[in-house]
Amino acid sequence: MIKHQVYISPNEVKVDGKTLTHNEKGSALLTELYRNNIGDYPKFFKMDTLSKLGFIASELLLNAEGDRVFEPREDRAVIFFNRNASLQADTHYQSTIQNPENYFPSPAAFVYTLPNIVTGEIAIRNKYFGETSFMVIDDFDEKIIMKNLENAFQDPITKSIIGGWVDCSDEEHFEAHIFLMEKDN
Amino acid sequence: MIVKVSDNIISPLGTTSAENYAKVKADISALRRYDGLWGLPEPFFASLLDRDAYADDRHTIDEKIVIDSISKSLERTEIDTTWTKVLFIISTTKGNVFLLDERENGYPKERVRLGMMAREVTKHFGNPNEPIVVSNACISGVCAQIEAMRYLESGEYDYVIVCGVDVQSAFIVSGFQSFKALSQEACKPFDAHRCGLNLGDAAATIIYTRKDKVDDNEWVACRGAIRNDANHISGPSRVGEGSFRALRVALGDLDPSELAFINAHGTATPYNDEMESIAIERAGLAGIPVNSLKGYYGHTMGAAGVLETIISMQAVDDHNILATRGFDTLGVTHSLDVTNHNRYTEKHAFIKLLSGFGGCNAALLMAKGGLQ
Amino acid sequence: MDELIYKLKQQIIEALNLEDMKPEDIDDNASLFGEGLGLDSIDALELIVMMEKNYGIKLQDPAQGKEIFKSVAVMADFIAKNRTK
Repeated sequence: MIKHQVYISPNEVKVDGKTLTHNEKGSALLTELYRNNIGDYPKFFKMDTLSKLGFIASELLLNAEGDRVFEPREDRAVIFFNRNASLQADTHYQSTIQNPENYFPSPAAFVYTLPNIVTGEIAIRNKYFGETSFMVIDDFDEKIIMKNLENAFQDPITKSIIGGWVDCSDEEHFEAHIFLMEKDN
Repeated sequence: MIVKVSDNIISPLGTTSAENYAKVKADISALRRYDGLWGLPEPFFASLLDRDAYADDRHTIDEKIVIDSISKSLERTEIDTTWTKVLFIISTTKGNVFLLDERENGYPKERVRLGMMAREVTKHFGNPNEPIVVSNACISGVCAQIEAMRYLESGEYDYVIVCGVDVQSAFIVSGFQSFKALSQEACKPFDAHRCGLNLGDAAATIIYTRKDKVDDNEWVACRGAIRNDANHISGPSRVGEGSFRALRVALGDLDPSELAFINAHGTATPYNDEMESIAIERAGLAGIPVNSLKGYYGHTMGAAGVLETIISMQAVDDHNILATRGFDTLGVTHSLDVTNHNRYTEKHAFIKLLSGFGGCNAALLMAKGGLQ
Repeated sequence: MDELIYKLKQQIIEALNLEDMKPEDIDDNASLFGEGLGLDSIDALELIVMMEKNYGIKLQDPAQGKEIFKSVAVMADFIAKNRTK
């Protein structure tokens, strides 16, 4: 059962269907959302765009859930889907090795060339020891995503999932549509 | 129960599961040193396929070895891949990423998208369903099998074809070099002198189905779990939190003495192997033989979880616990029973363990004939 | 030396995306890792790349970084003695 949902695009933010007012667009929007809603997690600025997007969306989702407790838990999973995997980070890392005259492979860029890092960032922030997973399908398909998330409740411990779609092709083009789901009794 | 129908491995050691297992059993490794390959300034050790033998005008090497591996797995089965009840799950970390290189212009750039790469595969087999790509760093191969188990358990599909693949490139090798994670020689899992990992190319396929009853010689995927360390995006947990928790779920109520071995991730980086030793000890499995296959194949990334599950099944079929190539003196703090020679076993079950960037960990319990 | 230290602080802030920090916020002798700036293992690797890129210093053994990255002052001293550009 879906408890809360968050939608973020370069020019629109909605929490549980209600529009959140903002001044900025694109990458600046993510920074604005960070400053207005979080503000005390400087690791945010080290993240690639996919992680920033998923992190902000999850923060808005969890703020909607109520008072934040950062107690360790294993019964909440983080499972995302998207189209472009880690393309923005991949392109950025490739730029550090493309030119043999200016070849300085960046470890901080390379670590984000895995789409599942965003699920790890959310697990670290919230002390979630539960399942984290990332899958890619070439087009957004709500049926496939919802069926997959329902399947994830087959895990004997998982009772709740932060799941959905978190996609970005470059720093200015992104879309997140994520849910907080609880297992039906 | 979720039962294995068929499998295949395409690697530098061979193009069938049996051929691969025979090479590993005979202590043959495909790891060798490469100097100046792909214009990389530093030399590296890796297990690489002959690129020219695979890639063609239509398909990249990643796509080609996936298609070949799945085709070989389908031989001697009744499965018609055009059925709607057949799902394809591809497991990969960096499939087709070499297409990002500006100098690469042989294939459409959109094929760098994993979903497009997977569609090339389902198109080839005439499958009508959207393929799922699992891209969960180095644990993808076990995650893909867990996804397959769930799709079969839910009744949505009757057959799931899981194929793991990764092919090395300047992108991946330079990245691991920037992390100072690559060894300049053949890797030494769990050894006191281990100094990093080697990378490898492979595609590996397992086809699963659902059955009410199984024969003694049929392989059953019993339980799997994915857990996070919630600690750091690149460094493994110092207390083995995620691997410990994944192991605990995979083991369930099984008596650990039923296990022939734990096939560990065993990448031979100082931190990974130490973390696994802590997790295995915490899960009460310190007495169980442990091995790693990285000394034969290197780390095959998205293929690793599938390939290493297949080799481990072959080993149990052969009553064998495989040696850990490169291992000599134990170099982790907990006294694991790491194998350094092939050993006889009569047991029928094993656990495949993996961990990866993003703090993720996965464990899968496989049992021949199912659990009693 | 003061000029190098100031420049180095700017380069560290840029290389490690320390968005809300200014060179003035970093104490010359404060520890970069753990307490202090709170940098982690990826930051250490990135500083190794930064030293190679800007000063032509190649660290073969990442463990060497532990000594060099003690503080900005220690780092500046090492760079002054070993730089090739």
